[in-house]
Parts: sequence; structure tokens; C-alpha cells
Amino acid sequence: MTSRLLMTLQVVVPPPQRLGGVPHGTRVIAPITGGTFDGPRLRGKVLAGGGDWTLSRSDSVLELDLRITLETDDGALISMSSFGLRHGPPEVLAALARGESVDPSAYYFRTAARFEASAQRYGYLNRLIAIAYGDRRASGPIYTVEEIL
Amino acid sequence: MSAFESEGRRPGGVHRRVVLKAAAAAFVAGATNAWAGFAHALAGHGHSPIVNTRGTAMNSRPLMTVRIAAAPPQKLGAVPHGIRSIVLVSGGDFEGPRLRGKVLPGGGDWLLLRSDGVLELDLRITLETDDHALIYMTFQGVRHGPPAAIAALSRGENVDPASYYFRTLPRFETSAEAYAYLNRMVTVGVGEARLAGAVHRIYEVL
Repeated sequence: MTSRLLMTLQVVVPPPQRLGGVPHGTRVIAPITGGTFDGPRLRGKVLAGGGDWTLSRSDSVLELDLRITLETDDGALISMSSFGLRHGPPEVLAALARGESVDPSAYYFRTAARFEASAQRYGYLNRLIAIAYGDRRASGPIYTVEEIL
Repeated sequence: MSAFESEGRRPGGVHRRVVLKAAAAAFVAGATNAWAGFAHALAGHGHSPIVNTRGTAMNSRPLMTVRIAAAPPQKLGAVPHGIRSIVLVSGGDFEGPRLRGKVLPGGGDWLLLRSDGVLELDLRITLETDDHALIYMTFQGVRHGPPAAIAALSRGENVDPASYYFRTLPRFETSAEAYAYLNRMVTVGVGEARLAGAVHRIYEVL
């Protein structure tokens, strides 16, 4: 089994909405106001209006539940959703919380992504499973998205 | 808990339903093969990890191979999102370097054949380890391939899994401390439709 680069995705996240303790954990919603994506077969921008509905669980794992719309440079709209997990040593997570740059290999930040597209030239996105490696920067996360072959 | 609810559902291709019905019937025929060979040695040990063709980020290691025994499907036919078949799970087993045990009866796979010919899988089962921990496993996935390969599957033939795409995204929940690592990992499954039932080789994404 192999994988190959689908794209690198960077999203812009303004200050999040901190909802606090809810029945399943601590809910923080991160609206996404933009971003860009670039890969061998697709590139373009992230439209404003999506977000990441994150939940910090009782076992300190952060669940990520992202929905965004991508607009390719040739005008196609692609819906992307992903579910992922982020966890790591307390000191690393504390550094992330302080907005510091942290080596992404110091923590686990992986998501599984799915896509929807009606444009025929992007129809392959409807049929693939993808895994993303996250790198949480102060300005917002950068994802390296890999197609599982 | 925020379940993996990011699955998109697209409007059904109503005009293609007749074609899809035929395809669904063919698919279901392939899925109904009775579980056999349940006792024979587990395959899948020593399968290679995910290889990243860029030679960079992606690393994985085998988590386990899950073999699922299924009852004959309930064929619900055309529903708004495609052709629905529900396959109830009657048992099975799983084995990997860190865990092994049996699949409890009672779960199922809620299959949807989409208008673009892709079969969506939506599975919920319970695993019981050999030391009696219960693990809730779900996945969503896709299966598709060249018409010839899919047709051969529906005739109940064994088909080289490399000839079709059958990938899933398993998730786990457990309260057992010994298996709590399952709560914290992202995994990918490589599926194989065999005469004896579906076999899923699951890799932990490192």
C-alpha cells in the first residue's frame, strides 16, 4: 500500500469561539476565514465560512471535525471534511497553546479527509481516502494531505 | 462524542437507478458468500506498511487484520442517496501484534451504492479481545474499481485486491486501559472482498 501527495493545505483561523465544557468535553469552534491549497493536481483557495469544531476529550485528546469549501484556480468548488486527533506531551501542548512554533513531530496530529466535487475533472476526489498530517502554526494549521493509493 | 460525521451524502442519481439496481444486485451477490475458512490461519501478517512515494511524512505500521463474517444482506433497494444494502455481522476474528480476539455478532455494515458507482461502507461492530476487553469499532470507506473486477467480485470470484480500491477509515472506542491507545490513533484499512468474507488490514498512521 502506498500514498502520494494530494496537496498542502493552509487555513487561516481567527480567534476561536470557546464554548467551554459541554457533555462530551470542552468545545472550541475555530471559524476558517480563508487559506490556500496546492498540489500536483489541484490548487486554489479556501473559501471563508467553514470551520473546525474541536472537542477536547476527557482523555486530553483533541478531536477535530473540519468542514471547508475549496475553490480551485479553474473555478470548481470542492467540499472537504475531515476528522482527526491531536495529542502529545503536556509541555508540547502547552507550547502550542502559547502560540509557539513546535516541531510537528513532537506531537500527534493526524486527520482523515473526504471530498465531494461535482466537476468531472475533480471526480477522483469523490473516490479516494486521504490522510493529513497536521502542523499547528500560530496563524492556523498546515496540513499535508496524502491520497491513500 | 463527536463521531465521524463528516461523510458527505450526495443527491441520488435518480435517472441511473435502474442501472444501479442491477449493479447493486451484482454487488450483493458478491457480498453474500457465506463465511468459510474462519478457522484457517490469519492472513496479513508481515504485510508492508504504507509507503510514502514522496519518501517523507507518511509512516504506518500494521495494527491488525479483521475478518468479518456476514449474514445475507438486507436489500433495501433505491433510497434517496443510492442503493442501500445492510449487511449484519454474525462474527469474525481479529489479530495483530498488540491485540487479538473475536468480532461479536450484532454489528453491521450499512452499504450505499452511489450514483457514481462507488460503494460507500459504514460499519459498526464490537470487538472482544482475548482478555475480555470490549472495543467499539466503526469505519467509513469506499470500494470501487474497473467494471470487470467489480463484476468478478459479484460473481463470487476471488479477485486480486490490487485490482480494485477498497479503503476504510476505522475508529475505535474502548474503556480498557490496556487498549486505550486505540482511542488516540488515526488508522487506514485496506479491504479485500474474499469468498470467505471481508478482510480488513488495518494500519496505524504514525
